[in-house]
Amino acid sequence: MDHLDQQALVTLKDVMEDDFALLINTFFQDSENRLKMLNSLIDSDNQDAIRRAAHSFKGSCSNVGAPLLASLCAVLEKKAVANDLDNIKQNIDVIKAEYEIVKALLLDL
Amino acid sequence: MAITSSASPDGKQVTIFIQGRFDFSSHQDFRNAYERLNPTPSQYRVDLQGTSYLDSSALGMLLLLRDHAGGDQSNIQIVNCSQDVKKILAISNFEQLFEIY
Amino acid sequence: MNDQRQLKILVADDTDTDRLILETIVRKEGHTVISASDGRQAVDLFISESPDMVLLDALMPIMDGFESARLIKLHAGDKFIPILFLTSLTDNESLVKCLDAGGDDFLSKPYSRIVLQAKIKSFNRMREMNATVMVQRDEIAKNNARLLQEQMVAKHVFDNVAHSGCLNSKNIRYFLSSLAVFNGDMLLAAMRPNGNMIVLLGDFTGHGLPAAIGAMPVASTFYGMIPKGFSMTDVLKEINNKLKHILPVGIFCCATMLDINFRKKKLTVWNGGLPAGFLYRLADHSIHPIKSTHLPLGVLSSRAFKDNCEEYDLANGDRLYLWSDGIHEARNIQGDMFGEAKLIDVFAQNTDPEKLFDDIISNVQAFIGDSEKDDDISLFEIRMADPQDVNEYAYETSVKKEGSAIAWDLSFEVKPSSFKVFDPLPILINVIMEIPSLRPYNASLYTILAELYTNALEHGVLGLDSAMKKSPDGFSEYYELRNQRIQMISEGFVKIHISYCTEDINGRLVIRIEDSGPGFDYQKKLGASLSTSGYSGRGIALMERMCESVRYIGKGNIAEVVFVWANDD
Repeated sequence: MDHLDQQALVTLKDVMEDDFALLINTFFQDSENRLKMLNSLIDSDNQDAIRRAAHSFKGSCSNVGAPLLASLCAVLEKKAVANDLDNIKQNIDVIKAEYEIVKALLLDL
Repeated sequence: MAITSSASPDGKQVTIFIQGRFDFSSHQDFRNAYERLNPTPSQYRVDLQGTSYLDSSALGMLLLLRDHAGGDQSNIQIVNCSQDVKKILAISNFEQLFEIY
Repeated sequence: MNDQRQLKILVADDTDTDRLILETIVRKEGHTVISASDGRQAVDLFISESPDMVLLDALMPIMDGFESARLIKLHAGDKFIPILFLTSLTDNESLVKCLDAGGDDFLSKPYSRIVLQAKIKSFNRMREMNATVMVQRDEIAKNNARLLQEQMVAKHVFDNVAHSGCLNSKNIRYFLSSLAVFNGDMLLAAMRPNGNMIVLLGDFTGHGLPAAIGAMPVASTFYGMIPKGFSMTDVLKEINNKLKHILPVGIFCCATMLDINFRKKKLTVWNGGLPAGFLYRLADHSIHPIKSTHLPLGVLSSRAFKDNCEEYDLANGDRLYLWSDGIHEARNIQGDMFGEAKLIDVFAQNTDPEKLFDDIISNVQAFIGDSEKDDDISLFEIRMADPQDVNEYAYETSVKKEGSAIAWDLSFEVKPSSFKVFDPLPILINVIMEIPSLRPYNASLYTILAELYTNALEHGVLGLDSAMKKSPDGFSEYYELRNQRIQMISEGFVKIHISYCTEDINGRLVIRIEDSGPGFDYQKKLGASLSTSGYSGRGIALMERMCESVRYIGKGNIAEVVFVWANDD
């Protein structure tokens, strides 16, 4: 799975036109907020909140064309649904790492 | 209810077939079968073989056909009538206006 | 390709990224966007902005998508506002939850412009169709209300015109369900001046207003003519003509008419198109069918109309039953028809004639059972009885009838000054036509009076010789001469004297006409053969055929004819 889905990005650029940059920045803001939220939930045992956060993050990732990042969120979401809250710190770290890669690639466009 | 018709090769004789219930819902289709025919037929047959039921509005429609076909000068046969249909026509004494078989 | 009007679309998604993408796509499709970032805001914006469509994220803070959708649908009411859930939920349970909450479809992430475009188009079509349906529904409701109002007015008029007459007589029972009346059934009854009762049971083609409309002229004709003494056949002919002329071809009235004479115990029947009624004889409990032998009323022209009736002698206690086809065609839950066989059965099973009426009704109703169909029953029973057991009027007339006679004289003189401008015949005929029993003889009496008057005026007063009329030339000469003489006449007269007398069995009209002329030698003329095939002659042979007697009195200037008829009873 790729970090970025080039085809999806082309379509997105086409739709957004001059607002493409705005969109990417919005994504960065959204994602950083989302990651902050997840970090705060590490030791919370709040299954529902974690699930929701992971789910939403997954959505915006897929919209922006970051399939690998989206699937990592999906994994976390599944764990939360199954109430398997051990070691979610690890999941979140992996997500954060992937996000940094995606961010760098997007900034290069 | 379905109404179909067929004409003789020279168009002078037209047979109208009535399937199912002959009642007010047949009104428009029945009229379409005999109005505006070219050439104008000189003899009409109404075939009631497939007709299960006849009500007073059907009797009315037969009168309309008769009026269209020239009233007292008309030549209309009502054929293949079941016992029930014959009974209804008999009560109304329609054999005084149509040839009924 | 944007071939639809611009819509206002509400986008609700708590993720800024997703919302931004969606807003842009929707705007690019040519629509206006309003945005919400939580469920509560979505509902508020829906209420204030009234968008045409809603794109709703399932998972939102404050109020989630499901609750928003429920509230939005509630606010939309009758209007169809499509709600598309935005979701990356893939499990069936969640998707079902979306639909249950009022969602109409999903849009999954990542958003596809093409898919969104297609869905907007498709749901907009649905929305427009729904709007059209609502408008049509309101239109229909309005029309229905108006129709109901019209029907109520018609019913009011109908009830007043087609009233029950003398149906409340002691020897009558009847039942007309309201569905039967709605379906065009009508029952009329009135007393004739001679104490007979006339009854009409009619069944018009059609339902509702069209059927009721036909009934009104029938009822007003019936209740207008009967008390004036017109006979059953007079009334039938008149009703047939009226219906033939005013109703469209194909609408007619199946009917049975009865004339019942309680003094002479006679029944006269005319049945055109109704199922056979039953004549029940008390003596042996037998039933005799009164079959339909005529075409229904309103079908034939007056020329072709047949008024021949059947007559029956009855005994007190005999009963006559009439019905329309509602009983025969009553259906049970299985869809079978009641039919005549079952009716015959009811009579066969019955042990008490007093209960026959009730037996018939209860059997039919039991047969119909619980099927939702209402009763469409018209049933009439009349029992032969003595006049005092019928009603007041029957009794009073019967008392009066015993050995009663009516007699009057009428004299009329035409003076010379009026000959050239005045024709007395219409006046005389009008007077005579006021006598109910003479109405059937309208034409004959006119012919007789015209012949007598013409003779008196032309041959008697004006002195014209009928022999002139033997040749075509002579014919026109004759009328020229007639014209001349009538302009100049200054003396002379024609006196007309009519005496009428009627007894129980028959009536006599004696018409005597006297002119001021010299008369003629009638002894000689009457001996020779008088043909009416020539142009001339006094038409005596014609009158002889129509009258009981024709004679000349005095100098031959007085002609007297006697016309008799059987008193219709």
